[in-house]
Amino acid sequence: MEINLKVDATGLACPMPIVKAKKGMESLSAGQIMLIETTDKGSASDFPSWVNRMNYQLIKTEEAEGLYRFFVQK
Amino acid sequence: MEHRLITAKALHEMIDRGQDLLVLDVRSEQAYKDWRIQGNALRSVNIPYFEFLEEGEVVSADLPQNTEIIIVCNRGNSAKMVAEALTNKGFSVQVLDGGMEAWSQFYHAVEVVESAGLKLIQFNRLGKGCLSYLVISEGQALVVDPGRHVREYLLAAEREGVKITHVLDTHLHADHISGGAQLAQAAEADYFISRSEMDGSTLSYQALEENRNLQVGSVQVQILALPTPGHTPGSVSVLVDGRYLLSGDTIFVGGLGRPDLGGKAREWAQSLYETVFQTIANLSDEVLVLPTHFADIAEINADGYVGATLGAIRQNNEIMRTEDREQFTDKVAGASGATPPNYEQIVSINRGITHVDAGQATELETGPNRCAVHHS
Repeated sequence: MEINLKVDATGLACPMPIVKAKKGMESLSAGQIMLIETTDKGSASDFPSWVNRMNYQLIKTEEAEGLYRFFVQK
Repeated sequence: MEHRLITAKALHEMIDRGQDLLVLDVRSEQAYKDWRIQGNALRSVNIPYFEFLEEGEVVSADLPQNTEIIIVCNRGNSAKMVAEALTNKGFSVQVLDGGMEAWSQFYHAVEVVESAGLKLIQFNRLGKGCLSYLVISEGQALVVDPGRHVREYLLAAEREGVKITHVLDTHLHADHISGGAQLAQAAEADYFISRSEMDGSTLSYQALEENRNLQVGSVQVQILALPTPGHTPGSVSVLVDGRYLLSGDTIFVGGLGRPDLGGKAREWAQSLYETVFQTIANLSDEVLVLPTHFADIAEINADGYVGATLGAIRQNNEIMRTEDREQFTDKVAGASGATPPNYEQIVSINRGITHVDAGQATELETGPNRCAVHHS
């Protein structure tokens, strides 16, 4: 999988991870993929509904030792 | 930008007074569905915070201009972002300080009864649906099923000018972290719980199996020995002065306790049957039942506390009249639904085996209480 943009939102609290994700996605064109990493559990649980709301695709989700990684396609 | 912050306590007072306000919950739909701030006639709407990130969005179009809007999120930060957007549009808004996390840690104390020689106060942890009790008599106090925010009870005892002499858990809690052992230590009181609940525990406690009658001031406190009762195998109910039944998780205003948390639903349903039709069968309809949980704010009565007479509970809950053992078992064991989140870990903490800090404790307890199950 080709990652077009990697966004680091680790250490940031809600709502910043989603704010950064939004900005990141706006810089991409259709079909491109963003990887965003967050350590905020609250934001992590909001990601699927946000992706859904924006009509993006959540391709993959990974979680290990408190680090959440979301692969989002525009 | 400065936002007007409102504490959980102040918000509760507004709701209690029936003040005109709208709760705008900006968490995700799922979180809102799972648990939210409730109140009689309280208006609340759910618009996730990320909706407010979209420029030119008209999500605020339906919000009232002349009503105070209280914005609520998980911890308060997203609510501040939304507050800024709405303030710019001319709405009058306040942010719930600390969000649902703060709401889940707010305790509301209500006096249930005050008579010569006995005062009984109910602590309602509204965000969790957890209830605990302070029983006061002649300068002494017993605390039943305290939550982990033990300062609430220490301050109350100070206000009342009494000494906490006894702390008791009716059972090993599976849905919230007990403050029992910690409170007993802080108050230099004795901590009571059934030995059968405390397998492998390192905590210091007095076994309820050997302490069936406690004396608090001039009041007799009787531990109802329910040999293998319904909720967890060692759970007890506490009968205060023969008139007030602190029923733990066995009998609720809206029904009976859930027997499935040990994976032996049908077996434990039998004990619940015996509890209802043998152990408490002799208690009069006049006895006031004061449980450890409630499932719906409708269970808060006109006097502001959660409780009902045994007579009313018998009358309103068909299950309490279902004397056919087979039918009873099917109803109770079949109706349990979702288990409380993290219950295995919480049980281990309450036995003193696992240790967590305040932040971890808060996270583990987040979400609705699922111990009270409704049976119609």
